Amino acid sequence: MLDHILSLLIFFPALAAVFGFMIQKESMRAYGISVAAIEFALSLWLWYVFDGNVSGMQFMESLPLVPSFGINYILGVDGISLFIVILAAFFTMIGIASLTDTPNVKYMIITLLFLQMTMVGVFVALDAIVFYIFWELSLVPMLYIIGAWGGPLRIYASVKFFLYTFTGSLVMLVGMLFMAYFYYQATGVWSFAILDWYRLILPESFQLWLFAAFFIGFAIKVPMFPFHTWLPYAHGQAPTIGSVILAAILLKMGTYAFIRFSLPMFPDASAFFMVPIAIIAIIMIVYTAMVAYAQKDIKQVVAYSSISHMGVIILGTFALNVEGISGSIFLMIAHGVVSGALFLLVGVIYDRRHTKMMSEFGGLAQVMPRYATIFGLMLMASVGMPLTINFVGEFLSLLGFYQQSHILTLLAGTAIIVGAIYMLAAYKKMFFGEVTKEENKNLKDVNKREWVALLPLGVITIWLGIYPKPVLEPINNSVKSIVQLMHNKATTELGKERIPNLVKPKVVIIEKTIIEEVH
Amino acid sequence: MLAPINISMESLNVMTLAPMLIPVVGALLILVIDVIKGGLHKSLYVVLSLLFLAMDFFSLLDASEIFTQNGTVLGMFDVMLIDGLALLAQFIIVIASMLFIPLALTNKRFHEFSYPEFFALFLFMIAGFQFMVATDNLILIFVGLETASLALYTLIAMHNRDKSFEAAVKYFTMGALAAGFFSFGAMVFYALTGSVEINKIALVLAANGYADIGYVLVGVSFMLAAFAFKLSLIPFHTWAPDVYEGSSAPMAGYMSIVPKIAAFVVAMRFFEFLVHSGIVWLDIVLYAFVIITMTVANMWALVQTDVKRMLAYSSISHAGFVMAAILIGTTQANSALFLYWVLFTFTNLGSFSMLWISRQKSLPDHQMSDHSYDKFAGMIKTAPVPAMIMGLFMLSLAGIPPFALFWGKIYLISSAVTSGYTILALIMALNSAIAGYYYLKLIVYMFMKEPVVGASGQIYVANATLALKTIIGIAAVGTIFAFVAINPLLEFITAFVYNSGY
Repeated sequence: MLDHILSLLIFFPALAAVFGFMIQKESMRAYGISVAAIEFALSLWLWYVFDGNVSGMQFMESLPLVPSFGINYILGVDGISLFIVILAAFFTMIGIASLTDTPNVKYMIITLLFLQMTMVGVFVALDAIVFYIFWELSLVPMLYIIGAWGGPLRIYASVKFFLYTFTGSLVMLVGMLFMAYFYYQATGVWSFAILDWYRLILPESFQLWLFAAFFIGFAIKVPMFPFHTWLPYAHGQAPTIGSVILAAILLKMGTYAFIRFSLPMFPDASAFFMVPIAIIAIIMIVYTAMVAYAQKDIKQVVAYSSISHMGVIILGTFALNVEGISGSIFLMIAHGVVSGALFLLVGVIYDRRHTKMMSEFGGLAQVMPRYATIFGLMLMASVGMPLTINFVGEFLSLLGFYQQSHILTLLAGTAIIVGAIYMLAAYKKMFFGEVTKEENKNLKDVNKREWVALLPLGVITIWLGIYPKPVLEPINNSVKSIVQLMHNKATTELGKERIPNLVKPKVVIIEKTIIEEVH
Repeated sequence: MLAPINISMESLNVMTLAPMLIPVVGALLILVIDVIKGGLHKSLYVVLSLLFLAMDFFSLLDASEIFTQNGTVLGMFDVMLIDGLALLAQFIIVIASMLFIPLALTNKRFHEFSYPEFFALFLFMIAGFQFMVATDNLILIFVGLETASLALYTLIAMHNRDKSFEAAVKYFTMGALAAGFFSFGAMVFYALTGSVEINKIALVLAANGYADIGYVLVGVSFMLAAFAFKLSLIPFHTWAPDVYEGSSAPMAGYMSIVPKIAAFVVAMRFFEFLVHSGIVWLDIVLYAFVIITMTVANMWALVQTDVKRMLAYSSISHAGFVMAAILIGTTQANSALFLYWVLFTFTNLGSFSMLWISRQKSLPDHQMSDHSYDKFAGMIKTAPVPAMIMGLFMLSLAGIPPFALFWGKIYLISSAVTSGYTILALIMALNSAIAGYYYLKLIVYMFMKEPVVGASGQIYVANATLALKTIIGIAAVGTIFAFVAINPLLEFITAFVYNSGY
């Protein structure tokens, strides 16, 4: 069974979704939660059997799909994708558990399970076309979630979401076809296998164009400035569960793809574009933080802060060294947990009052103390307080980029302070002061169902904030091999300079000095 | 005194005619049956047509076996040319026809299907298309083309609605003009080279180094215009949306597939040597045709309010997309054309059939036209299964993986990439993105809007019989599980195209 654990992880929820059509409406939630729990248990089992000391791919599966055109069904998981898969399984479970009785809850759960299939598929696919299939297919259930259960502008928001990402990924597809063609030219065989592509050393001029083609696809998904405009709409209109999944998992597809495709395949181009992308990332951090400050709707504050943190992830990724990339992967997970939790928390208050306007609230800390506590915790994590999960990722990302540019890192660092300002301002508006509105006086505090969803997130936030090692170490191992690969493949001066060579770590030099002392 | 002409029967290779003669015999049989005993139920004729198409199919299998063993077969004074292209195109024609003809078995009585002549004409038309693709003789191409076209005009007119007569007349006049262009172009080439066979034309032109380039260009212009009519390339497309609208939905779907594959094959034969001759002008003009057709048709499709017209424009856009294969002209591109068209056949016939089973005899008040978007609003609530199937066809048309057309799209775009047409590849990709919008629009109507008051799910399946459901089921299964069939299909097609020298 271990041989096919990844296929099982992908297709188990899909199969369950198909069977879901036969389940009675009343028992659908129980069914959904149990399926998601099994899937989560499977993903934990994957972590258990995963060998953290191995840097390469594990549990690989391969099956010919269109062999004459080099398309194969290849799956595999390494330290980079492992935790995102677990995160996807975890958030689907939490999401389904937190579902309130929306109309057509049955179809919602079926759609979520299909979405889960595509999410897991994206993160374990090792063939570009299989990756692309899951990548595109994930748009369809998300389109339906926003379009069928969203707010008043839902159709506009869902279509905008779909078209933006669809357009970007088609350009990416052309880039993939080029990669396969270059591989064909070099070897005489067609191949879309990512590990095959890693072996290609392309001249810098090719790299720049291909990097750009892939970049458009990924940047829209992340979403990077200035392609971010679909996201506030999507978040604003999506139901709580849609926002949670979008922020926690779907956005990570873009940042994950940068690490899986752009960095190892185009090391020179990555080094070449490092500074421009870092500047975009800093604009993302500063600009969206400022926009977030101006929002009146708490969900929009969370949405914009989400973009802002994605900027830090991008910054860490393009540090091109082990600290930065490991930090950005860790921050992906942290951001998933924290922003997912924040969207859930917004959902809690929206369920009670059917408004997300901050002006409608005030003094909530007196009425809902437990809600205020957990909100406060998540907010602190979001701001990047030490001992919370976000801190580890942000620190490492910035530390990584500090080795490339002090000034840019400083700018990014100050921007995080801006982040603290708007978050605390929002918290103050909603939770402190007197209870001004009559309707707020009798609000119920967090109930049992919501605790089930929120408590694990709180625990993870603190646990991984204090002790990140079990997650960080497997990530580190895989990132090291990627950075080494990048260094070996880099052909330009700039690339060699910016991407560190890990084969000669400083430790070796110290050993030599010791030996000399002995003599 | 003239010497007597001696021709051995063997050199005639009469068997090359077998696949075309089978539907002709079938058509004549249907006419004879009608003369002997009139007023028989349409189901008899449907099944008879199916049987003859099945025989046709098996004779094609035989022919393809001979092709794989002995290579290209010539026959009937070298007029018939059975090569890989001819066989592939005939397979598509026959299979699409087999999927189309059971759609006549609807619950409602539709006018055209009550005539036995409909089925006879249908079979004659197939024979015409088969002749058209199985030769490189311009005269036989012309004969085949006109046989098929004249039958097709009549089939459209038989739909017996106001718009059908308009459509038939429009198609007929446009088609006559195209025929004129074609014969003039053929004449120019005959004058230049003394031959009406495409391979000889190519040889003579290449031998004298395209000395009369001016006349060649005149000939090419006329031929191009003729093909552009048949393939509904912009700006020669004006008939297409009106004709699609005027004909019955499955007929419209059929027209977007079969006549075009026949024309594509002829275009492939004809432009193959011209594209590789290094005439820059021709490349530019073809390039312009391809891009304009893809893009402008997409723009028009965006603003349609009727699903059938939207699909008509989308078919034009797909034709432009596939025309790129002829511009590129490599083996991979030519194979991609056939792969694309096989996959397109299933998806497009499926989506037009979905319109067909939801066809009403009279329009309710709130509905502007037969298949307006409003009619499909909230379909997921009133008729979930048809809505999902329709959504599936839309996703496939939009090129969302892993559904059928995605594979055709990547292979075709890949062929552009490998032969250095980078800009073209990007334009093709961006056009797919634009097209995504109007397919999405129908999905939005079906899945996210509230049903129009008074609409019950019944209207979406009003015409459905077991036969119709089967056809749609086949199309849906073909669309979902295409990825299983891609590899064998690709190898089969590439071998056939490559062995024919294209």
